[in-house]
Amino acid sequence: MNCNKAEKWVLRSLDGRLDERSGGLLREHLEACPSCRKAETEYRSMLALLRDGKDAAPLPRFWERLEPRLREEMEIAPLVFWERSCLRAIPVFLVLVGIAAGALFFTPQAAELSQSEALLLENVDPFSETGQIFSADKADTRNMMLIFASLDEKTPVRRPLP
Amino acid sequence: MEERQLVRLAQEGSPAAFEELVTKYQSKVYSMALSFTRNREAADDLAQEVFLKAYLALPRFHGRSEFGTWLYRISINHIKDYLRKKGRAKEVSLEDVHEVSFSDKEQTEKAEQERETEARRTLVQRFVQGLPEKYRVIVTLRDIQGLAYEQISQVLHLSPGTVDSRLHRARRMLRKKLAPHLIGERGAHEL
Repeated sequence: MNCNKAEKWVLRSLDGRLDERSGGLLREHLEACPSCRKAETEYRSMLALLRDGKDAAPLPRFWERLEPRLREEMEIAPLVFWERSCLRAIPVFLVLVGIAAGALFFTPQAAELSQSEALLLENVDPFSETGQIFSADKADTRNMMLIFASLDEKTPVRRPLP
Repeated sequence: MEERQLVRLAQEGSPAAFEELVTKYQSKVYSMALSFTRNREAADDLAQEVFLKAYLALPRFHGRSEFGTWLYRISINHIKDYLRKKGRAKEVSLEDVHEVSFSDKEQTEKAEQERETEARRTLVQRFVQGLPEKYRVIVTLRDIQGLAYEQISQVLHLSPGTVDSRLHRARRMLRKKLAPHLIGERGAHEL
């Protein structure tokens, strides 16, 4: 065993993490190596001093001083919660306003409406003209009226070529 | 009452249950803060703040780790924040420690045994303060607080292997600095 490994094992053994067999090998090495023995003694002293300072007690009446602070915090906590919620709500509100504005902007305007929609928006019955056509007595008249009505539409009329 | 039950009751708003948890952990949290700050009042304040934070965060504790581990994590983070704010991380250099230690040693040579022990402890802790933060934290958790390796691994979110190697390096650094003092008083320091 070399001294580096022995040093690792010394620390493990001081932590109680070295198995029996390795412990035996380490003891053999320590007996033969004065510098590792010295290291082991120093580590032992050092850890003893460090662990010595573990059980420090806080200043007296720790809970009595803590309890009012807890109560105070619990009273403030809901206010802080609402404050945070409001802060978080601002961007959400802005996004909603943006969506609403976008929806209004992209809604089809009157110019883009169909004729029937435009008539409906102007509060005019879109079927009045159609009604007149269908109320015509003669079939020929009805056909003629239908032809003329279709000419009013913007769709191109196909005429039979000679 | 079992700790899990206490935690559950505290989560439901029982001050008595939380008081029991505080009583159980106050010395541990306080001594951890003390080992970082070396100031009783500051350590006491920090311990109180840690418990305040823990109380407010209790609803978010789901019991995935032990309550103690969770509390240590809060403590370490809070103490680190405090030290960062106070700019104390580099307050004590190793050279400073050498100077202080010699004068401390001279003063305590003729003093009583208890004062001597306290001075030695102070010396070691000052050396610990002089370590880089990542080593200081690990030495504090293992060698001062006595946490198990697995617990340290959970508190610091490190693999057990990293904990092992980091602790080994930290102890070597510490021993290197402490060696002259340990040799001179070997007999008195031994367990």
